[in-house]
Amino acid sequence: MSAGSAQPYREPAILLTPGLLFLLLAFFFPALQLLAQSFLTFGTEPARFTLEHYAKAAVDDFYAGVGVRTFRLAMIITALCLLIGFPLAVIITRVGPALRTVLIVLIILPLMTSVVIRTFGWLVILGPGGVLSWTLQQLGVIDRGISLMHTEAGIVIAMVQVLLPFLVLTTLGSLGQIPPSLEEAARVMGAGFFRGIFHVTLPLAVPGLASGSLLVFALSISSFITPTLVGGVRLQVMAGSIYQQMTGSFDWGFGAALSMILLLSTLLLIVPYMVITSRIGGRK
Amino acid sequence: MIASTPRLVPFATAMFLLAMGVFMLLPLLVVIASSLSSSSFLVFPPPGLSLQWYGEILGSQAYIEAGWTSLKLALATVVLALTLGTPAAIALSRFRFRGQATIAALFLSPLILPSLIFAIGLLIVFSRYATGPSFLGLVIGHTVITIPYVIRTVSANLADLDPHLDEAARIMGARWWQRYALVILPQCRTGMAAGAFFAFNISFDDAVIALFMRAPNVETLPMRIYSTLEFSPDPSVAAVSTIMILMTIVLVVMLNRIFGLSKIV
Repeated sequence: MSAGSAQPYREPAILLTPGLLFLLLAFFFPALQLLAQSFLTFGTEPARFTLEHYAKAAVDDFYAGVGVRTFRLAMIITALCLLIGFPLAVIITRVGPALRTVLIVLIILPLMTSVVIRTFGWLVILGPGGVLSWTLQQLGVIDRGISLMHTEAGIVIAMVQVLLPFLVLTTLGSLGQIPPSLEEAARVMGAGFFRGIFHVTLPLAVPGLASGSLLVFALSISSFITPTLVGGVRLQVMAGSIYQQMTGSFDWGFGAALSMILLLSTLLLIVPYMVITSRIGGRK
Repeated sequence: MIASTPRLVPFATAMFLLAMGVFMLLPLLVVIASSLSSSSFLVFPPPGLSLQWYGEILGSQAYIEAGWTSLKLALATVVLALTLGTPAAIALSRFRFRGQATIAALFLSPLILPSLIFAIGLLIVFSRYATGPSFLGLVIGHTVITIPYVIRTVSANLADLDPHLDEAARIMGARWWQRYALVILPQCRTGMAAGAFFAFNISFDDAVIALFMRAPNVETLPMRIYSTLEFSPDPSVAAVSTIMILMTIVLVVMLNRIFGLSKIV
C-alpha cells in the first residue's frame, strides 16, 4: 500500500502523534506519579524518599485483614462467574438468532448501565424489607425478615452480577472460533452430550475462560463502589480503604502504597495463572 | 449413531436461562419499580403507584445541574476521544510500520490498568501541577478510558472495508485532504458512530474517576447517586436512575442498529 510512497512513515506518524502525546501526558505520566508518590514523604517540603508507607501497610493487622478479605472475595466471585458464565456462553452460541439477540441484550444492557445504579438495585433487593426478604417470606422459607446487607454473601451476589458480562463476552469470543463440527465429530464417534462439552468444547474455550476470569479477578480486586455500598464500613476491601485514604484521610502516600500493593499482588497472581492455563490450553 | 442428548438438558437449559434473566435484570427492574412508588421509603412491595418522584427531581436544582454536568462531560469526552482515537485507528489499520504492535498495545493499555489506579494517578497530577481536580480533569480522565473503545470500533469497521479505495484515490491524484474528506473518513463513519456511543455511555455512567477527581462545584449524576446511596436512599434516586437506564436502553438499540450487537461480542 503506502509503503511504496516516498515517505512511508510520515503519514502514520502524523496520525498517531496527537493520540500518543495525549496518552503519554494524561495516562502514563499519572501512573508514574502514583508510583513515585508511594515512595515519597507526603506533606513535608521538600519530599524525600521513604519506605514508611509500605512499612505501615506491612505491619498493620487491619490492612492485612482487609487484603485477605479482598483476595478471598475476588476468588469466590471469579469462581462463581466461571461456573455460571461458561454454560451461559455455550448456550448463547447454540441457540437460534432471535433468542441469541435476547441473551446478548441480557448481558450488554446491565453491562452498559452505571455500576452505581446496579448496586442501588442490589441494595433494594438485599436490604432489610427488600425484595429477597419479602419473596422468601411469601414462600414461607423464613418467618422473619432478613437482610444480606453488610454481609460477604451480599457483596458476592452483587459483584457476580456486575462482572459476569465480562466473562461471558470474552468466552464467547473464544467459543466463536471453535468449528461446531469438532463437537459433532466427537458425538458421531460415540461421545455423550456431557463428554462432548467437557472433552471438546471446554478445553478449546480455555483461552477465553482464562482471559475472562483474569479480567473478572482484576476488576473485582479494584472495585470499591459495590463492596463499599453493600458491605459498609465493617467489611472493608482494599479498594475501599484506598478510596478512604485518598479522599477522606488525605494520606496520599499511604493510599498510593496500598494501590501499588494491590496492583503488584494482582500481577503476582496473574502470571502463574497464565502459565498454567496456557499449558492446559496447549494440550490438544 | 449419535448418543441422544439427555432429556433433562433442554429443561435444565430453560430453567437456567430463566434464572439468569431474573438475576441479570432484577436489579434494574427493582430500581424502575421503586421510582414509581408512592411511599417516601424504599419498601417492597410499594404501597401504591405515583409519578411524584419524577416531579421531585425535575424541580430539584441539584439533580438538574448534575444532569447538565454529566451531559456536557460526556459530549466533550466523545469529541476529544473521536478526534484523538480515529486518526490513530486509521494509522494502525491502514499502514504497516515498525513498532506497530507496540503502539497498538500502548493505545489499548488504559483498558488493562484498573481505572481505580489511573484515577489516583490523575488526582495526584492535577493536585500537584494544576489547581486541583476540575471539570477539565474529568474530561481528560474520561477521554483516556474511552480512546481504546474508539480505536477498537473504528479498526473493526475499517477491517471490513476495501483499503484499495484509498490507494485508487491516491493513484488518481487526490490530494491528502481529498483522500481523507472523500474516502477515508466516510469509510470510518460507522465505527466512529459506534465509538461515540460507547464513549458517551462510559463517560455518562462513570463513578470511579468522578469520585476520585471530586472537584468543588462539579457534580455528575453518578457522583450524586453514590453520595445519596451512602446516606439516605429515597425513591427520587430511583427516578434519576430509571431515566439513566432508559437512556442506556436507547443507546443499546442504536448500537444494534448501526453496528450489530453480534459484532460487539
